[in-house]
Amino acid sequence: MSKPKLIDENGLRVDGRRPDELRPIKMEVGVLEKTDGSAYIEVGGTRIYAGVIGPREVHPKHLELPDRGVLNCRYHMASFSVDERKPLGMTRREIELSKILREALETVVLLEEFPRMMVDIFVEVIQADGGTRTAGITAASLALADAGIPMTDIISATAVGKVEGTLVLDINEFEDKYGEADMPVAVAPQLNSIVLLQLNGRMTVEEVERGLEMAQAAIKKIREIQVDALKRRYRVEPEGLEA
Amino acid sequence: MLYFNENDLVIPGQLLADNGRRSGYGTYTRDGKLYASTTGLVRVVNDVVRIIPLSGRYKPQRGDRVVGIVSDVKPNVVEVDISGELTAVIKPPERETTPLKIDIGDCVYAEVKSVGIRGTMLSIEGLQKIPSGILVKMNPAKIPRLIGRKGSMVQMLRKESGCDFWVGRNGLVVVSGPDPGSEFAAVSAINLIEREAHVPGLTEKVINLLRRLRGGTVE
Repeated sequence: MSKPKLIDENGLRVDGRRPDELRPIKMEVGVLEKTDGSAYIEVGGTRIYAGVIGPREVHPKHLELPDRGVLNCRYHMASFSVDERKPLGMTRREIELSKILREALETVVLLEEFPRMMVDIFVEVIQADGGTRTAGITAASLALADAGIPMTDIISATAVGKVEGTLVLDINEFEDKYGEADMPVAVAPQLNSIVLLQLNGRMTVEEVERGLEMAQAAIKKIREIQVDALKRRYRVEPEGLEA
Repeated sequence: MLYFNENDLVIPGQLLADNGRRSGYGTYTRDGKLYASTTGLVRVVNDVVRIIPLSGRYKPQRGDRVVGIVSDVKPNVVEVDISGELTAVIKPPERETTPLKIDIGDCVYAEVKSVGIRGTMLSIEGLQKIPSGILVKMNPAKIPRLIGRKGSMVQMLRKESGCDFWVGRNGLVVVSGPDPGSEFAAVSAINLIEREAHVPGLTEKVINLLRRLRGGTVE
């Protein structure tokens, strides 16, 4: 199959976006009843649920740490989330992403606040259209905040890609498939630190630097949506607490 | 300088104050500044900034009275599930010959004696075994509303429904009444309080609900 045209003569992308434009994002907090905290996120065609259970007793017991808590993260894609049915169970990719997500979240969660305990984070991809790890981490940090887990910051994430020599923000699955590079970036904005940075494909040093700047600017917008989603969840409660 | 108003909703990572020495529950300091670490409402109590969490698991605090289910009875310790972060334990005093008369599955009402790195201890003084009733689970953050100012809400519930209430700070409540109808009315009232904890004039609403339900069952 010949390579499709990813950027048209007007400089617009396959889905009509400008290179520095995000896909429409929707977030909701507190969507699952049986978890201690949960969040739902939609980034274009990507749809993800994140649930958090805990802090609770560590299982299996030998993972318990006497001075701090343990995070357990599971990134999983539904069989129907991709074009070709994904077999049941955890694939190598899912196991790797679980670890990546856990390590990113460990940088913001104040683990010392819950020794001998464990927090489970479940990230379920319902529909995948590119950027599932970045959307997953965004939703997971919202779910953690909803669960009342002490954290230094809320993580926001997006990806920068390169298609036909142009740097584009928040690439979708089509651009990921036929483009030249994909660079997911996750940032803790208050700490001003990058907690996740991967690069798949080839980019020059200047492109990486410019890509990071683009991602940082977009993350400001994503953060606003996150804050709004969290505030919407607890909007009505202030008068309720008169002890 | 403070960057918030009293009772504002704050989210993790939000800057609260320039002076990090005023750090209370739910906050942390970085570079001498004070930030929020949990989602909740900020308040200044005794010149210390603290956050009242709105969600999450129950975190035991010394002196709290809690309702729990006995999950295990070991030779010198009794484990109680208080639906919190870790199971709590009851330790009978040493050389105690008469064993505690509680068994696995019993529902108990007790006070938190100590909270520490070794887990939560429940006090043996004032330990009650709840004989029977309906166990209701609600959001621990909304328990203060169920209790009311100086216990006014619970007193009203007791009077209007004719049921006994064991209210645990951990979000578990046991209702025990003379007949199923009044127990049902009491549970409905608890659900109403949880759902509309933020609505003003809740007490009147609850009284109306109880009178309606109780009136219906009597006739």
